[in-house]
Parts: sequence; C-alpha cells; structure tokens
Amino acid sequence: MTTQTLSRAELLKQLRTTHAESVKRAQELLKEQKHMQQELCAFFREKPRTVPEAAQATGIPADKVLWFVAAMKKYGIVAEAGMCGDYPLYKKVEEN
Amino acid sequence: MDDLHMDALVIGGGIAGMQSALDLGDQGFQVALVERDPSIGGRMITLSKVFPTLDCCSCITTPKMSAVAHHPNIHLYTYCEIQSVQEHGAGFDVSILQKPRYVDISKCTGCRECEYECPITVPSPFDRNLGAYRAIRVPFSTAVPQKAVLDPEYCLWCGKCEQKCPVEAIDFSQQPETFTIEADSIIMATGFDLTPVSTKKEYGAGKLHNVIDPLMMERFLAPTGPYGRVLRPGDGKEPGSIAYVQCAGSRDETLGITYCSRVCCMYAIKQAMLLNGALPMADITIYYMDIRTFGKGYEQFYQNAKAMGVNFVRGKVASIREDADQNPILKVEMTDTGEIVEQTFDLVVLSQGIVPASHPTVSLPLGSDGFISVPAPDSAPCVTGRPGIFVTGTAAGPMDIVDSIVSASAAAAEASAYIRENGSRLEVEKEALYA
Repeated sequence: MTTQTLSRAELLKQLRTTHAESVKRAQELLKEQKHMQQELCAFFREKPRTVPEAAQATGIPADKVLWFVAAMKKYGIVAEAGMCGDYPLYKKVEEN
Repeated sequence: MDDLHMDALVIGGGIAGMQSALDLGDQGFQVALVERDPSIGGRMITLSKVFPTLDCCSCITTPKMSAVAHHPNIHLYTYCEIQSVQEHGAGFDVSILQKPRYVDISKCTGCRECEYECPITVPSPFDRNLGAYRAIRVPFSTAVPQKAVLDPEYCLWCGKCEQKCPVEAIDFSQQPETFTIEADSIIMATGFDLTPVSTKKEYGAGKLHNVIDPLMMERFLAPTGPYGRVLRPGDGKEPGSIAYVQCAGSRDETLGITYCSRVCCMYAIKQAMLLNGALPMADITIYYMDIRTFGKGYEQFYQNAKAMGVNFVRGKVASIREDADQNPILKVEMTDTGEIVEQTFDLVVLSQGIVPASHPTVSLPLGSDGFISVPAPDSAPCVTGRPGIFVTGTAAGPMDIVDSIVSASAAAAEASAYIRENGSRLEVEKEALYA
C-alpha cells in the first residue's frame, strides 16, 4: 500500500516536472481565479447584483466577470435571481 | 494496441461521418470511426435547431451518436489523430495516435465527480470559449462516449480528481499510443471551420466583445448554452436590438473567398426566428446582398421570418466600430439608393462563411477553394482524385445538414462499391482461413 502511494506521488511529481511550463501557467490562473471567486462571491452574497455592478465594484472587466459568473452558475456557486432592467441578477448560493 | 483490419475507415465523427459509418455498418462492413475530439457529434451537436423545420439538433444528433457507439460493426476511436496514410494494395495502412485521456474509459462512469473536484476553470470550446468547464471534465452533457478527459495544458497534477473518483478510473500513467488500422477504403468527413474573423479588420477583427460569430449565437439559443439565455458577451445585457451582417467572409475577394457559403442566409433567418421567440421585444435586422433560399421549404421559411417582423435590409456593411458602452455601430451602404447610414445595435452577428477544417495527414488534391477536390462533381460528387478515398459533408464544400446527410449516404455507397470491387481484405482472409 505504501509503495503504491509512493509510486503515485512519484508519478505526479514526474508529471509536474514534465509539464513544468503549463503547470506554472495553470498555477497563476488558479491564483487569479481564486481571488476573483472570493471577490465576486462576497459581492453576490450581500444582495443580487448584475454583471456591470460586479465589474464596477471589483475592477474586473465586465466580459471576464460574465465568463466567470457563467462558470460559477454551471457549478452551482451562484444562481440567477431575477432581472434588473436588461441585466440578469446573480446571487451567491449558500452552502448547506 | 493490436493492428486492426477494417473494411472502411471514416475520418471525422460529425453528422456526415456518423451517417457514412452507420450506412456501411448496416451493410455488414466493419467500420472504424476516428474522431480527433474526445466525443463524436461534430458541429451539429453544438447547434440549437435545424432549418427549415426548427427541429431540435440535439434530438436528431444524439440518437445517431448513440447508434454509432452501440453498433456491432462500428469501432469508435475518439481523441485520436491520423498520423499517416500509406497505400497498401487497393487499401491503406493508417497510422493513428491515441492521445492520453488520463482516464480509464473502461472504468469511468461519467459521474463527473472529478470535474466538480477539479480546482481550475478553463474555457470550453464546445461553448465557443464563452462557457467554461474544468481541466478534467466530461466534454458536454450528451457526449459519446460519456467519459471524462483530462487536459494536460491546464492540469496542476494535484491528484484531487484521482482521490475523488469512486471507481478509480483516473490513470496518470497513460501515454500517447500509436496503432495501425488496415482499411480497404477511407471516407473523409473532416468538416469545416468559420472564416477567421481576425482577417476582417473592418468588422473589428474579433476584438469587439459584442460582435459575435454565428456558432456563438447557436450556443446562446441552445438550451445547454453558456448563460442559459441570450446575453451579449461584453457585459451580460439582454440585447434589445440585434443585427446580422450577411456575407461576412463569403463572396469576398479581399479574403480570397469568392464562393457563396450556402448556409449563411438560412441560419441567419433561423436564428432571427428563434430570437424572436427568445426575446419577443428585440428588433432584429438582417443586412444582406442577396437572400439565397434554394432548398425545399426554404423560401417559405424566409417569408415566414418577414411576416414575424424580422427586418431585412438590402445593404452592405462597410465597417463596425463600438461606442463607449460597447454598442456596435454599423456603417452601411444601402445598395438600392447608395445612401450611407449608421445604426447602433446591442449585439451584432457576423454571418461568417465556411472554410475547410484542417485536414489530417492524408494527401489529397484540393480545389482552388481549399476543399477536397472531386474531379467529377456532377456524376460522382463523393469520389476524390485518389482511388479508395471518398469525401462527404463540408469537407467537400459548403453544404447544409440535409445535403451533408445525403452526401454521407452517397459516400458510403461509393465506398461499399469500391470494397466489393476490390475484395474486402477481411473476406479474403476469412476465405483463406476456411479454404
């Protein structure tokens, strides 16, 4: 069992070395996404908001906010909560 | 992987490739269907509805995908690339690279636990990069095979997916693997791409957020689209006015694309009708040079769209810029009067033309338009300049879904005749075995 675990760890380490460049890019992307998710979730937790409101509050470009909101909606992190004029409102889905 | 003998090898798992494979499989031939993506379905599975019947695309494509996957005579190879094609008697030796999924597909149940656990979110080409999925994911909800695939370009190799997988399907030890299929005939069903928008600088060269391509609009109109509704990608606004720019990349000598792409008029009309349903208050304008509605029921479809209130304007769009709120402004020459007008919209769709998709390593004569050449288009539209290799669907030239399916059955018939004429190697081997 230990040998199996060790070989798995070694394999992952080897893959991280082989794909060093893409891992570095992915780590930077992950860092950016974590930060963006924290900011947006905090904003949508207060009350339902639109994408332009979130963009203005966080300083993230509106198209990027929309892309990330669409991703969070897909994975159940945010949900639609009606409309404000021509813009859908989004709210944070509270975890049980 | 062992080398394999097949009667036919179909390259491309879109609607045309699937139809050819099914027709040959139903005749008792052993068929290999090779697809470069992790799922079959091609472009058609990404579309919303078909014209002129407005039937659901997914409802037509999904049963065919399933039929291919479960057909006893069809051998499906997804996430594979053709490396070389060598002639071998009247047939071919095709070298194929199986890219690693890092998932054991014999174990994976498609439960997507790995996808939910993966920490990194990446653009989804299925949604024209307007939607997202994770570095490990099932490509889309109706993918065939319904198996996960890991993208090494975005993977952190953190191992979280492996820990979460309930059936121990994650396999980090997978390597690219090459194998050979000996095939008596080949059908090219490699499909199309859109005219690259970056070449159209006067239309923003792809840099204007609210100027989109027609396949993006297809995703917005599909029930599984990235936003679940029609929103403009620049800021998430529900558009109140939408313009279509026809011939944006077809019949355009400056781009070297002088031909008509045949489907743009009809898909624009179809999308306009669907938008009329999705956004009843929206104004929809189609700027056109000519409207070409050549197929059965197509002219009536066009007349219906006009009756529904879609605004058809004869004019050539000279340029597109945007205002401070990212609203596209169209500068249009009204063809009938010569007048130049400017009009602002919330969203603009460029009815881009069709160009051939990049062909795999199969040496075939191409026409001046870049599509696979067919020396006798009037009498044998699926027969290429190389004996034993046939072409179907948009690999041969622009055509709609109806014509692609007809062409697929024609290519299958040509391949069937070729195999019978030259003697199936499988049959020859069987006869030798029992002699």
